[in-house]
Amino acid sequence: MDARNFEYMFYGFLAAWLVVLLYVLTLVRRSARLNRELNDVKQLISAQESGRQGLQEHVR
Amino acid sequence: MRERVTIGLAAAAILLLAYSLYQIFLVLPDEAMQGAIYRIIFFHVPAAIAGMIGYFVALVLSILYLSSKQLKFDSLAASVVEVSLVFSIVNLITGSIWARIIWGIWWTWDYRLTSALVCVLIFCGYLMLRQAITEPTQRARLSAALTIFGCVDVVIVYKSIEWFRTQHPGPVLSIRTGGGHIDPAMERILYLNFVAICLLAAALILVRSRQETTAREIDSLRRMANAM
Amino acid sequence: MKWTRSALLIARKDLAIELRTKESLNAAAAFAIVVLLLFSFAFDPAAAETREFSGGLLWLALAFAGALVFNRGFSRELPNECLDALLSSPIAPSALVIGKAIGIFVILAVIENLSLFVFGIFYDLRWWLRPVELTAVCVLATWGIAIVGAVFGALTLNLRLRDLMLPVIVYPLLIPLLLAAIEVTNTLLANQPLSADDLLWLRVLVVFDIVFTALAVLLADTILVN
Repeated sequence: MDARNFEYMFYGFLAAWLVVLLYVLTLVRRSARLNRELNDVKQLISAQESGRQGLQEHVR
Repeated sequence: MRERVTIGLAAAAILLLAYSLYQIFLVLPDEAMQGAIYRIIFFHVPAAIAGMIGYFVALVLSILYLSSKQLKFDSLAASVVEVSLVFSIVNLITGSIWARIIWGIWWTWDYRLTSALVCVLIFCGYLMLRQAITEPTQRARLSAALTIFGCVDVVIVYKSIEWFRTQHPGPVLSIRTGGGHIDPAMERILYLNFVAICLLAAALILVRSRQETTAREIDSLRRMANAM
Repeated sequence: MKWTRSALLIARKDLAIELRTKESLNAAAAFAIVVLLLFSFAFDPAAAETREFSGGLLWLALAFAGALVFNRGFSRELPNECLDALLSSPIAPSALVIGKAIGIFVILAVIENLSLFVFGIFYDLRWWLRPVELTAVCVLATWGIAIVGAVFGALTLNLRLRDLMLPVIVYPLLIPLLLAAIEVTNTLLANQPLSADDLLWLRVLVVFDIVFTALAVLLADTILVN
């Protein structure tokens, strides 16, 4: 009884921490994705702005 | 500043958990009737309480959102629900494993288990709903409504089944029974773990709500880019 | 009084449309009967054990058929921007939700009566033996389904995956209600006297209905905006 007890206790702890670890990993991946998207959008905006500035100077 | 607070909370949580793990495995004796498996209680119960408290915190935040219409409350509520869901799932899994040894079954329909499962179902629906809506105000409104109805529902489930016979072990914490049901050393570790889990939850919530704010920022920048 | 009149007006409008087209009535009734039929294949109707949980089968069939009804409840307002017109009108949003709920309630009640009749035939159940108590349970449980369906039907109106989302959200919320209805209906269909447990379940039904109706009325103005 005791050996099986230990085995299940180990599984229990493992399961609990696995769930938390998986969640932390999803948070990390989401952070990376959001940072990537933020950089992309910022680049897009600065490209658009420099394009517009170039056009204004050209018109002048 | 925010990163430092998050790291501080996480570090404190890890230290407390390390200390409690040491206590649980090396210091505390085996329980008289259950053997080694009882040690699961030190994560099962704090996770359960943390999850439940989280849902009611989300309820308060949802009401605050509906009255003030500030999206920061919605971001925070969503983060709290998500982290509470993680701890509720931990609660259900650890409880199920414990039950397999002690009662011989993986599951039973007593009030605490049923209300925990209903909670998980409702708030999984909450997360699915949030994914399905792109417009932030509509998403916030709907999430707030679902949280309010969901929390009331869980209280009804809990109370209604509590009136009947239950298989789950009764209260052991001395704040509810007045002492004598649990070894004080064990109870101390239980409270310690609860604090540790709350700190961990707080750190995760801070990270998650920051991500929500960033996502909204990206959304508004995209709209600006499209408008230009 | 004006509020009540508005709610009843909305209900009458919905029922008039339903009477003319019978779209959700036919679909939901057919669905309920098919589900009951499938249940009778899965669970042997002649067996004594099946009769013990026959209430459960009935309420499951009704819950599934109900999804068809409240899916239709608000979505019929989408074409021609009827919903915008309704929200811009002087009718209070809470009256709108309650009116919709009344409409859904009536349609579900019709389907329930039909289901009981068919169910009695398939499972050889004498459901007419306890009419007062059975009616009470049916009324309470159906109102609970109707009000939750109406509120979340209104909220999920503009979603992409509306038809999938609505059951995913509504069914977990209906768990206490369905549980209570199933327990009491099992006792009534077996023609047993109502025990203290059953009276507690009836209390749960009443509490559920009161609390959720109150929440719906209180929150309707905040959550039903354009």
